[in-house]
Amino acid sequence: MFESKSGIFYIAGVGFFVLAFVSNALVPWLMYNNIPEQTVAELINPNLRYQFEDLARRYPESFNAAYGTPPGGEAEHDAWWNEKCEEALRVGHKLYVGEGCWHCHSQFIRPVSNEEERWGPVSRSAEYQNELQRPVLFGTRRVGPDLCREGGRRSNDWHAVHFFKPENLSVNSPMPEYPWFFDGSADKPTARGLAIITYVQWLGSWQESYPYYEAYVKSPLSVPEPEPAADAPAADATPAVEAAPAEEAAK
Amino acid sequence: MNRSMAWTVTIVFGVLILIPSMLGFMMKFGELVELTKGVSDGGGFAITPVVNYLLASLGFFCLLLWAALNGMFRDLEQPKYLMLENERELDANV
Amino acid sequence: MTTATIATDHKIAVHTELVDESIVKWYFYAALLFLTTSMLAGILVSLQLIQHNPFTGIEIFSPGRWRMVHTNAVAYGFLANGFLGCLHWAIPRLTLHPVLDKRLSWFIYAAWQFVVGATAVGILFGEAQGLEWGETPVWIDPLAQVGLLLVAINFMTPIARMKGPMYVSLWYFLAAFIWTFLTYAMGNFIPEYFVSGTSAGAVGGLFIHDLVGLFVTPLGWGLMYYFVPILIKKPIWSHGLSLVGFWGLAFFYPLQGIHHFLYTPIPMFLQYGAVVSTIAVELVVTTVIINFFGSIWGNWSIVRTNLPVRYFYTGMVFYFLTCLQCSFQVTLTFQKIIHFSDWVVGHAHMVMFGVFSMWIMGMMTYLFPRLLKREWASQNLIEWHYWLSTVGLAVMAADLILLGLFQGWSWAALEPWDASTDFSFPFWVLRTIAGLAMFGGLLALLTNIWKTVKLAPAKA
Repeated sequence: MFESKSGIFYIAGVGFFVLAFVSNALVPWLMYNNIPEQTVAELINPNLRYQFEDLARRYPESFNAAYGTPPGGEAEHDAWWNEKCEEALRVGHKLYVGEGCWHCHSQFIRPVSNEEERWGPVSRSAEYQNELQRPVLFGTRRVGPDLCREGGRRSNDWHAVHFFKPENLSVNSPMPEYPWFFDGSADKPTARGLAIITYVQWLGSWQESYPYYEAYVKSPLSVPEPEPAADAPAADATPAVEAAPAEEAAK
Repeated sequence: MNRSMAWTVTIVFGVLILIPSMLGFMMKFGELVELTKGVSDGGGFAITPVVNYLLASLGFFCLLLWAALNGMFRDLEQPKYLMLENERELDANV
Repeated sequence: MTTATIATDHKIAVHTELVDESIVKWYFYAALLFLTTSMLAGILVSLQLIQHNPFTGIEIFSPGRWRMVHTNAVAYGFLANGFLGCLHWAIPRLTLHPVLDKRLSWFIYAAWQFVVGATAVGILFGEAQGLEWGETPVWIDPLAQVGLLLVAINFMTPIARMKGPMYVSLWYFLAAFIWTFLTYAMGNFIPEYFVSGTSAGAVGGLFIHDLVGLFVTPLGWGLMYYFVPILIKKPIWSHGLSLVGFWGLAFFYPLQGIHHFLYTPIPMFLQYGAVVSTIAVELVVTTVIINFFGSIWGNWSIVRTNLPVRYFYTGMVFYFLTCLQCSFQVTLTFQKIIHFSDWVVGHAHMVMFGVFSMWIMGMMTYLFPRLLKREWASQNLIEWHYWLSTVGLAVMAADLILLGLFQGWSWAALEPWDASTDFSFPFWVLRTIAGLAMFGGLLALLTNIWKTVKLAPAKA
């Protein structure tokens, strides 16, 4: 008799426990049911398209080898670019995860420790509600800078050179080299190289503004740029403006 | 102090502590649920760990009762001697 | 339990029938293989940080990938294999019943090595998934899940067959089998397939947290409650208090999930709740520590003479320090500074190496002579192993924790980013040296095992 009474508690105990784990999936799903999860195709925005087409202009041979040439006709042309851009984003995301980039670069800006000053607007939940954040890439460690507002801050060829050999652009950088994203030299990115640059340029491309970022010194040999004032109105800087001087450098 | 006296004291204190804290918790939890209703970009996922915690704790509480009813805690210190005794036997038998 | 059942139990209690010694031994060999892999991976990453990576630019030696091999090989390769080996020794001896099926044990053994090996290979070929300790490539997850289920069935059968009140170790083991199964499922399936974004972050944080708290911690303490009394030949100070510790862990642990989401949009009172409950766990930890130190009180010379016991108590001291550190670092004040910094890395090393690896090393030091039926070939080498590991770990943890503070302050002060990597350099060099010392300790152990197997005469 005593046995059967206690048996109820046993079953209930295990039952509640399992329920707790089920609810672990159920509650968050219900919670965010109203914010639809964006697919990769929905994530493509003009900023990103600009960067992606810029890659094609800068590295025509690499780009053609990886994606072919765009077809004629206005509508097909546009659809083609979107399709290839989506493909690059997916591959880039897989590389970002597979190479363990997220172990040294976070994608989360906290409302404390002057992070807003350094990186830009504090992260919001909705920013993470998309296919490329499954699992979410908040990160737990910052050896290198946070990347969630990185898109558009530097030109495509800056990234290419940096991925090829980070030392060339930032002295004493502990970041590893990624020559396997390239065909021998920094100006010949492979499909993987184009994809990872596309992914990095996508980060933060949904933001309307690109706020002040610490002064970037171009090369160890050049004269450092004067430090812009902290209150400089950097909000109107667009990717196009950022990319312009780098384009000259590429020539 | 006799046994029934001890039980009475335990129960009185238990009620004194549990009722206000439960009330407080329920009110605060209600506030949280209200807060997250209709806010699409709020801290709604905070409810998940709370609910999970409550469910898991309830599970543990049931298991604790089950263990107590099965006499697991009747002779609290006996298993530690039995275990050493077993070890000696096992090593002697090799 | 009646005396009659004790008597019948005694008749069948023969060590060789209960314990399959060869599987314990092979679990230990596998554990050491993965520990070697993991430490080499760690050294590679630390060399990358100080810009002396010897394999720079070679895809298969990418430090980012080896960083994931490092953490996965420690958790699933070293700790899991080490614990499973010890459990194959402890559970049959505690319950006086063998595991469900010895062939099943070997099947699990083979399957588990395959899972861990395939995880490492998958990661090295760039197939990782984006969740710490959940990087296991997609196609391995279901296999690992089935493996964990089989482990639970295999070990829970002897515990279920036992009658009477359970010893505290068995409570911990039972809980660990169920928790590990559920936690693995939570971490490896939910964030990958069901939810994305912030809520996935919530689940992911809980997973990392629970993998340490609900898989490693209960198994570790359960084994301590078994090995410490039999080595110091005294029962645990208070069995009742140990049960308080167990149920305390069970009740307080889950709420702490939120402490990974401080400074997120969660209402503040909940964040405070997480902080308070984490500090409450510190009290639970203290009861456990008191219990163990009560057991050895007045008998301290054994720490000097008995190396396994010294390992166990060193681990407990580190455990206390880790938890103390934890109750500080969960506060919002500390989080502002230390989040994303090397403080966390120091904390992780102190838990995983300073506590649980130390315990496994201690158990190995005790069990290898019994498994190989001969004494250690060299007492010197096991002493070297202990001192190199302990000093190396203490230096590494102190170095990284201090560095974490400096990094946090530098970032908050809006110094240029490069400043934080520049001043980290000497600390990272010291960390590499400390890591090499720890690896040297491991080499001492491996040499000693090899010598013992090859050279020492079998015990009569």
